Amino acid sequence: MSFHYQRRIWTNRLFTFFAAASATIGISLLLIILFRIFSEGISAFSFDTFTRTTPSPGGEGGLINAIVGSLMMSALAMIIAIPVGLLGGVYLAEYDRKSKLSSVVRFLNDILLSAPSICFGMFAYEIMVRPMHRFSGYAGAVALAFIAIPVILRTTEDMLILVPNQLREAAAALGAPIWHIVATISFQTVRHGIITGLLLAFARIAGETAPLLFTALNNQFWNIPMDGPTPNLPVTIYQLALSPYPNWHRLAWAGAMIITLVVLSLNIVTRLMTDRAIKKRA
Amino acid sequence: MSPQFLTLASKNDKVEDKSPRDPSSPTPALVPSLRIMDIKNLSFSYGETPALENISFPLYENKITAIIGPSGCGKSTLLRTINRIFDLYPEQKAQGEIFFAGRNILSSETDTAWLRKKIGMVFQKPTPFPMTIFDNVAYGIKLYEKLTPKGLAMRVEKALRDAALWDEVKDHLRASGQSLSGGQQQRLCIARALAVEPEILLLDEPTSALDPIATEKIEALITELKNHYTIVIVTHNLQQAARVSDYVAFLYMGKLIEFDVAWKLFENPTNEQTKNYVAGRFG
Repeated sequence: MSFHYQRRIWTNRLFTFFAAASATIGISLLLIILFRIFSEGISAFSFDTFTRTTPSPGGEGGLINAIVGSLMMSALAMIIAIPVGLLGGVYLAEYDRKSKLSSVVRFLNDILLSAPSICFGMFAYEIMVRPMHRFSGYAGAVALAFIAIPVILRTTEDMLILVPNQLREAAAALGAPIWHIVATISFQTVRHGIITGLLLAFARIAGETAPLLFTALNNQFWNIPMDGPTPNLPVTIYQLALSPYPNWHRLAWAGAMIITLVVLSLNIVTRLMTDRAIKKRA
Repeated sequence: MSPQFLTLASKNDKVEDKSPRDPSSPTPALVPSLRIMDIKNLSFSYGETPALENISFPLYENKITAIIGPSGCGKSTLLRTINRIFDLYPEQKAQGEIFFAGRNILSSETDTAWLRKKIGMVFQKPTPFPMTIFDNVAYGIKLYEKLTPKGLAMRVEKALRDAALWDEVKDHLRASGQSLSGGQQQRLCIARALAVEPEILLLDEPTSALDPIATEKIEALITELKNHYTIVIVTHNLQQAARVSDYVAFLYMGKLIEFDVAWKLFENPTNEQTKNYVAGRFG
């Protein structure tokens, strides 16, 4: 056996070893985090978690107002973000793929995608909290919407670009206008991918803490409608975890587990959906 | 048809072959028919790259015109100009005139929705939409007409029958159009184009992605369809052009080299380049 052949075999083995080791480290870290969250969370979990509001100092309580507050803010954020993100994605993929404007929009969107989430909080503070002279769930929802918009816009564009041009031409050859082609053909072709993008955007904002710190603030009582400081799960976890009370710590673990469960199951659902869509096409 | 168009059709009809062919030959002489379209001095460019230069020839009503030529000669480009599908791409430009129904369809005043209703198109690769067989055929109809569910069902059935697909799909109209075989998908696309009742049907290499049996079915269908429609077919298959067409336009490097009655062009071409291409010496 030649020296070169030997060397190739060993290089290959070394490479495989390092790749496997890196993967193991990454996956085991994730598993350790998940294990810790679930073991602490389950023991802290009780009926009260879903029936009582956040406790006063030293007292007992649950997380229901924070859970509901988070759901309301995330839902409102999605209501704002979905039309903007979808239509923006449609513009880039269907109406204007090559112009200067679209490449600028695409570039700015990529920056927004990776911008630190606290910036979105500051922006919402400037345009909502300061002029209105109060923290509110609406300001929180706007901050979350700005995080969701680039995610939705990007996945919508990426998905629509996958639609074969032949399909668009076939519809155009029947005389269909572009908006009609987008609505009936393009979206129909990649609807699984676009719904996946929406779910991922929701999962992303459901766990965001930083943009809520000085927009929604937090609240240990109910706040419906969301005018004024609004309870939410991420900031509640943060405050409970920093408190000196052991029962508050346990409640923070329960909250962390709830968010993790939501994000994890959303990701699993989207994975199953894309797998099914791919299988259907193959 | 407008009076203006009729005068256009009767002038300079030199290409039309009115004399009967050699009586010993099995090919019957062509029955003369009206010009339904007149392409005049048509040029086309992709951005800065010219693709067609000064092309002129007519289309005759209820005849099949084949466009042949080697790859890249502009066959498909020419076809894509006729229904202005190139409009989808801003950098593509056509110059010259195409007269149809009494107007120049290349003028910006022409409503492309109207034009594409009158001129249907079927592409090289079958393009069933991601919806049921029924909805695929109904797609075009719904763009132009508000029909009762029953009326729509009748139109869909008629289109599928005309495309010789009805018997194969009538029991599963609710199945996905993409679940059909390649040949069936292509006939579905033909049905979808026929459903809006066009006058001209453009076929862009409709059988090049199909097996011989499916090709045979489509060719039989095309021959049948010419009783009701004017057909333009782009093909790189000379045998196919010879089998189905009445007229042939031979394109080479963006120029129209020869346009004539099919048998004449294949058996007795006047141009040297046509002779070489038909004889299989290049392309």
